[in-house]
Amino acid sequence: MYQYTAFDQRFVEERVQQYRDQTRRFLGGELSDEAFQQLRLRNGLYIQRLAPMLRIAVPYGTLTATQLRALAAIARDFDKGYGHLSTRQNMQINWPELEAVPDILARLAEVQMHCIQTSGSCIRNVTTDQFAGVAADETVDARPYCEIIRQWSTYHPEFDWLPRKFKIAVNGARTDRAATHVHDIGIQIRLGEDGTPRFDFLVGGGLGRTPVVGKLIREGLAEKDLLTYLEAILRVYNRYGRRDNKYKARIKILVRALTPEKFRELVDAEWENLRDGPTQLPGSEVIRIRDHFKAPPYEKLPDEGALLASQRLRNPAFNAWMQHNVSPHIRPGYAIVTLSTKATGVPPGDVTDEQMDAVAAWSERFGFGEIRISHEQNLVLPDVPQRELTTLFDLACNEMLGQANAGLLTDVVCCPGGDFCALANAKSIPIAEAIQRRFDDYDYLHDLGPIDLNISGCMNACGHHHVGHIGILGVDKRGEEFYQVSIGGNQADDASLGQILGPAFSRAEIPSVIERILDVFVERRDDGEIFLQTVRRIGVEPFKQRVYSDAPAVRVRSSRPKTVATRIRSAGTSPVSRARKTARAG
Amino acid sequence: MLVKAPQNRLDPPAIVPDSWTLVEEGPARPGLIAPFEAWLESPDGAGVWVAGDAEVEEVEAHLSEAPVIAVRFPAFADGRGLTFGKLLRTRYGYDGELRAFGEIVPDLTEYMVRCGFDAFVLANRRQAEAAIACIQRMSDHYQGSVRQPLPPYRRVAEQP
Ligand code: SF4
Repeated sequence: MYQYTAFDQRFVEERVQQYRDQTRRFLGGELSDEAFQQLRLRNGLYIQRLAPMLRIAVPYGTLTATQLRALAAIARDFDKGYGHLSTRQNMQINWPELEAVPDILARLAEVQMHCIQTSGSCIRNVTTDQFAGVAADETVDARPYCEIIRQWSTYHPEFDWLPRKFKIAVNGARTDRAATHVHDIGIQIRLGEDGTPRFDFLVGGGLGRTPVVGKLIREGLAEKDLLTYLEAILRVYNRYGRRDNKYKARIKILVRALTPEKFRELVDAEWENLRDGPTQLPGSEVIRIRDHFKAPPYEKLPDEGALLASQRLRNPAFNAWMQHNVSPHIRPGYAIVTLSTKATGVPPGDVTDEQMDAVAAWSERFGFGEIRISHEQNLVLPDVPQRELTTLFDLACNEMLGQANAGLLTDVVCCPGGDFCALANAKSIPIAEAIQRRFDDYDYLHDLGPIDLNISGCMNACGHHHVGHIGILGVDKRGEEFYQVSIGGNQADDASLGQILGPAFSRAEIPSVIERILDVFVERRDDGEIFLQTVRRIGVEPFKQRVYSDAPAVRVRSSRPKTVATRIRSAGTSPVSRARKTARAG
Repeated sequence: MLVKAPQNRLDPPAIVPDSWTLVEEGPARPGLIAPFEAWLESPDGAGVWVAGDAEVEEVEAHLSEAPVIAVRFPAFADGRGLTFGKLLRTRYGYDGELRAFGEIVPDLTEYMVRCGFDAFVLANRRQAEAAIACIQRMSDHYQGSVRQPLPPYRRVAEQP
């Protein structure tokens, strides 16, 4: 993990001082509302519907145990005892007092954290694959490059006042777990024929009102050119991106207006001027940063395949968890564990301070004190010895983090929506909960296989509904909350945007609508096909017909016993959830 | 109220008397900062102002002789003037006074300095003092700037 140098530490401390001064000047009437708004946004502070929200940067989703404990303490001291994992791998806390924010930033700086550029029209926290560095299918570890981009983009003299927010994602694995196709810039790293890292640039992808898949404008860029090429793109965008209409200000609109070819020409012309300039990235700097991401002291462990097989036979709940939440590690004897925050009745991505403390402790006991946040709003333990998996599973179940649903229908990705967000058209959390309640039969879920369900409370698409295999969007119809449903979106390698089925539904109708969609899938799927593949093969028409027909839904049930479902339901009344309910009511 | 922050770094930023008067319309005369078209007609002894979204490539050839170029920031959060200043200094080698005016919030002057601006028109003394504090607050940055082109990672490596 990256450790701050004296330079980095001084930098964040000076930024805290700077923000303290800005807050003081605002409260003293020296800074206008408008000016302070821009400045506080660049330090992560939004004023939301109910109270302020502070978005804490978790660079490329990587945390130490110490940092997670600090976040737990901040959630305890400044929020009502929980934090929210965002779809961009950050953590948000609600209800901080505006006056207290400089103190929170100072607490964060003590553990090498900050809120810099987590909102506002600037370059946001760079994101990557939550399994970077440990994934079995990795070609190049993306984290050192993410850190290099983080430093380059932090408080950039020229690119902090852009037409609109700007999001960069980097992926170095064969599977794209970073959604690079739907970012302003998506960078794919691979090894070139000469064995050096090569960078492919996708530009102008994004969700929001006008969802677009990014266009490939440069292939095989060399490492030394990474930052100068980024500068060329950002400069063209800063100069020519629209500023007259915020809905047309993202880079995707510029790329479309110019055409990708013309945009590429402009970038290339700019880059010719920059490529040999002072920002060129020397190999020595890459080595310095890469040193921070050296493999931890792994033990030589045997592969525990046989042990795991017998444990899985004995415990069906563990078996399901192994299947969905445990991923192959680059080292023998180790595994990557996804701790799902998606327990029924809990807003997706919410974690309590107790859960954070517990996860921090597990990361030390079953790993090297490192935790990741995934953009599916789950927590990841990257280095768990295989022989410890059953122990971890039991502990996780006790903390309501043992749901065996990673990648399944109930692993809902969901924005805060109308319960918290001032921009919302409709609530999103109750939709997630209604769906989780309706589909509480684990065997059925398991039988359905991987389904990404994404919910956004408005067009801004923070819940990434366009790339959900099933996407739900809150819309406003004459002051009432309605929901538009789309299917066929996908965020991975062969990214696609969902197609809207038709007129929107009321909140009460949504669970039955989902049920009908799934009925069609179960009836029509070919052997081994996942939901997305079936939609792609048969098209949306059969789904449309069923969803808008009058016939009642028939759920095709599986006949296997319901062990896991029972376990999860009983977990619903654990002390953690009771504590949470009290906290929410307070 | 004019604040100067010399790019040579030797003199600290300070409030100074302004010997120029900016006019919205021509004609240009000595002592005035005039709009680009008016200045082109009679540049002698006059300064010139341009909008922050001006195409630097279209104006730079004419501007190199101007004693002062003022760039208008139409809105506080509009960063186009930053690119304009940076290009004018680094690509086109302008070395006269580069002044920012318009919607100048003190906190923005710090970015402007790094992009090559050395003079700032602030609304009043309080704002001018705040700007001076802002310019001096951060001791270093991750990127190079007009006055220090090398980012930190190349300074150490390339110094003898
Ligand atoms: S999608 Fe809309 S409602 Fe949801 S968090 Fe984003 S802005 Fe708010």
